[in-house]
Amino acid sequence: PALPQGWSAEKDYKVLSALSSATQRNIEPVGPHFLAHARRKRHNRTFSEDDRI
Amino acid sequence: MSDETAAGERVAIGIAFGNSSSSIAFTTPEGKAEVIANEEGDRQIPSILSYVDKEEFHGTQAKAQLIRNSKNTVAYFRDYLGKDFKSIDPTPSHQSAHPQQVDSTVAFSIHDTSDETPSTVTVSEITTRHLRRLKQSASDFLGKTVNAAVITVPTNFADAQREALVAAAKDAGIEVLQLINEPAAALLAYDARAETGVKDKLVVVADLGGIRSDVAVVASRGGIYTILATVHDYELGGANLDQVVMDYFAKEFIKKHKVDPREDVRGLAKLKMECEATKKALSIGTNATLSIESLTNGIDYGSNINRTRYELLAGKVFAQFTGLIESAVKKAGLDPLDIDEVILAGGTSHTPKIARLLESLFPEATQVFAPATLPSAINPSELAARGAAYQASLIQEFDTEDIEQSIHPMVTVTPHLSNAIGVQLVSADASAADAVFQPLVNVDTALPARRVAQYLAPKEGGDVLVRITEGAREIKVTKPEPVPKEKKEAKADDEDEDDSDFDSDEDEEEEDIRETVWKATKPIAEVAVKGVKAGAKIEVTININSDLGAQITAREVGGKGGVRLAVESQPNGSA
Repeated sequence: PALPQGWSAEKDYKVLSALSSATQRNIEPVGPHFLAHARRKRHNRTFSEDDRI
Repeated sequence: MSDETAAGERVAIGIAFGNSSSSIAFTTPEGKAEVIANEEGDRQIPSILSYVDKEEFHGTQAKAQLIRNSKNTVAYFRDYLGKDFKSIDPTPSHQSAHPQQVDSTVAFSIHDTSDETPSTVTVSEITTRHLRRLKQSASDFLGKTVNAAVITVPTNFADAQREALVAAAKDAGIEVLQLINEPAAALLAYDARAETGVKDKLVVVADLGGIRSDVAVVASRGGIYTILATVHDYELGGANLDQVVMDYFAKEFIKKHKVDPREDVRGLAKLKMECEATKKALSIGTNATLSIESLTNGIDYGSNINRTRYELLAGKVFAQFTGLIESAVKKAGLDPLDIDEVILAGGTSHTPKIARLLESLFPEATQVFAPATLPSAINPSELAARGAAYQASLIQEFDTEDIEQSIHPMVTVTPHLSNAIGVQLVSADASAADAVFQPLVNVDTALPARRVAQYLAPKEGGDVLVRITEGAREIKVTKPEPVPKEKKEAKADDEDEDDSDFDSDEDEEEEDIRETVWKATKPIAEVAVKGVKAGAKIEVTININSDLGAQITAREVGGKGGVRLAVESQPNGSA
């Protein structure tokens, strides 16, 4: 975090650019975290929806 | 012998199926993976089958038959499974039953019945018999019939090989829940321990086996593993080290008796067996003996070797191992500085010298998980089996359909971040140019991902700017400043005695100092958090979706509200 000087923006934020494109890779289908990921993906859930269950 | 398993109930174990040896493991009700010893007390069960008067021998007992009954003993068959005869390398089987072409598959001609004529047994059938024996050992131990398993395979096992393995296991009465890659299993074996927290790290998993070695570079992000690069060497393994020990003792023997025991088939087999045991002893003690009855021409032979001499003789082979690991890191486009952990797996990883060479190859911050360098390290021979057992315990309740859907490429092929994303920290007086970048979401993180971190706000508080940027890692090489000559001489005059020590220190410092430096490359967003109290912390949460859209929240810790914003994904994916 840094001190702003004469910095201003609407609603206190500005988006400067989008993220660079991603690379497609294969993840290893092992471990509890993967299984959680697979569950989310198959049921189309987000992290916060998953937390609520 | 064992109780019947109730209908529909799954009893699953983890199987590590290797060319040289195999292991079986189960998970205790408390969630700890444990390796099962077979009825002979072996946890590393040689993947060998032998037949004497139609009786089947397995494991260590079959291995002993390599000397007297090599033609009816099948060894090193895993890599033949599901392969075309022309594409296999039969070298490891020189001293046992030779692989032959039958139709398009590989088979062995062995006397496994009381018939005079040998029968032809395919490699699939051999695998089935081997797995059946492993299953039996596990069932006897658990008191329940084992009917399912997770089996580990090398990363470059082709689909045909995987199918052949699943089919062979089915014939042995084992439902293969999943085939998992060996490096992932090793990593899982460590991460499943209660004391290991989930964190982002880059891990090199080096599986140093008996007749082949495989190295994988794995990015572990939030507990999800992505293999970045793999290298394989089919001519490097513990057998090369056995050869070093064999040559040493053979030369000694020739000096004494003027005969080369390696020229006699049985002498060679005996020497090989004993030298392997001697090599293993050298991984534990600093001295090991060798004694063979009637090695060749009826001469008994006894001798010993110490570890220092062994390490000297095997220096070249050790360098091949470290070279292989170095090449894997390079193949992943990484530097040894990027590696957080090195996991040594496979039987050869017990060698203390290899672990120590790796410690010097990687920076001090890198942890080398091997018995010689870390007392809490898991036995490298057991890693794959433990990982498989743990995975088996996670999925054994699932329906087969569920498992299939979960490991489908739809799920496993995932976008990964191509750049790290982090927060740029600027000290109060510095200009933006030398702002420090701290990665929050690492490169090669599988999406979607969410990370939260806290940053110290400037001491005096007030309004704070949080700048989210992409960043890239660079290796900064600085040449150490040459020490002025006069100074050196002056010092040497002062401390005559320390002269030599001082000089050698100097030589070591001549090496370039290499360090990782983060550079902010592309600013993504800026957020202002206003009216922060003195000494407070700012919490930044970033949520990245698989379409590269992102939600960012910045707020003062303990404060309310904070600033939320969304970064739209790129319209057409172009940079």
